[in-house]
Amino acid sequence: MKEDLMDIICCPLDKHDLDLEVDERDDGEILSGTLVCTECGESYPIEDGIPNLLPPDMRDEAPA
Amino acid sequence: MKGQEWYQEDDVAESYEDKRFSRGGRLIDRREKQAVLDALQPVEEKNVLEIACGTGRFTVMLAERGADIVGLDISGPMLQQGRQKAQATGVDDHLEFMRGDAARLPFPDDHFDAVFAMRFFHLADTPAAFLSEMRRVARELVFFDTFNRFSTRSIYNWALPMGSRLYSRSEVTRLLDDAGLQLANEDHDFVLPYGFYRKIPNGLASSFWDADQAIGGSPVGDNFASVSYWTAEVA
Repeated sequence: MKEDLMDIICCPLDKHDLDLEVDERDDGEILSGTLVCTECGESYPIEDGIPNLLPPDMRDEAPA
Repeated sequence: MKGQEWYQEDDVAESYEDKRFSRGGRLIDRREKQAVLDALQPVEEKNVLEIACGTGRFTVMLAERGADIVGLDISGPMLQQGRQKAQATGVDDHLEFMRGDAARLPFPDDHFDAVFAMRFFHLADTPAAFLSEMRRVARELVFFDTFNRFSTRSIYNWALPMGSRLYSRSEVTRLLDDAGLQLANEDHDFVLPYGFYRKIPNGLASSFWDADQAIGGSPVGDNFASVSYWTAEVA
C-alpha cells in the first residue's frame, strides 16, 4: 500500500483514524507494518503490501 | 458468506481467471466489463470502490481508464493476483487493494463517488446489510448485478458447488428502497447461464450469444434473463 491510503481508510469497527507503523518499505510502497486504531486500539496487519482490514473475528476464520 | 474458504485457496486464485474467462467465457468477460463501464462512465478522476474485487478484473480496467480506485476482497491470494496485474500494467499509483469485510467497510461515510460489486450478491447471505454498507460509503452511485429467479439460472443452479442466491425484480427494488437508494437504470441479459458459455469454445459461443441476444432482446426476453445489472443513485 501507498502511504496516502491513510487519508482514506479507518477502523472497520468504530470508523476512527488509524496510526501507521511501518516495518518494511520499498520505493514508496509499504510492504509490511501495522495499522492501529487511535480509539479502540485494535491493530490490523499489512501483509505483502496489502493491508488486512478484516475485523478480528473474521481474520481468525479466514487465514491468508 | 458462501465461497469464503474456497476463494482463499492459492491454487483457486491462480487459476481463477483462466478457468472462468477463457473459451466462451471471454464473451461474459467482455459483456461484464461493458456493463461496468456503462454504469460508471466517465470514470476518469472518479473515486471508486469495488467490493469483492477478486483478482481485480474490473479494478485494473477502471484504473487503466483513469479512475482512482480501491479494490476490497476477503481473499489475500486473489488480491495478490490483482496486485501483480496492477504493477505489470503500471496503474498501481492510483489503485489500492485491501482485505476487508463488505459488511464493515474501513471507510468514512460518503467517501466514494461510486461503489460497485460484480458477482457478489449471489453469494451474499445478508444482502440488505451489504447494500446499506455500500450506500453508506457512496456519495452518488451504487452498481451491482444479480442472478435472477425464474430464469434458466434456476435450472442450472442445482449443479453449482455453492449454490447461488437468486433475486426477483421486486426483491431488488425493495432492497434498494430499504437502503435509501433510487433505481436509475436496469439491464437484463443472458438467457443462457454463464456456466454454459464457459464450457464451449469461443467461436461456438458467439452463435449461441447471437441467438441469446435475439431472445433476450424480444419483449418476453427480460422475464427469462439470467443476469440483471442495477444502477442506483443515493436518494
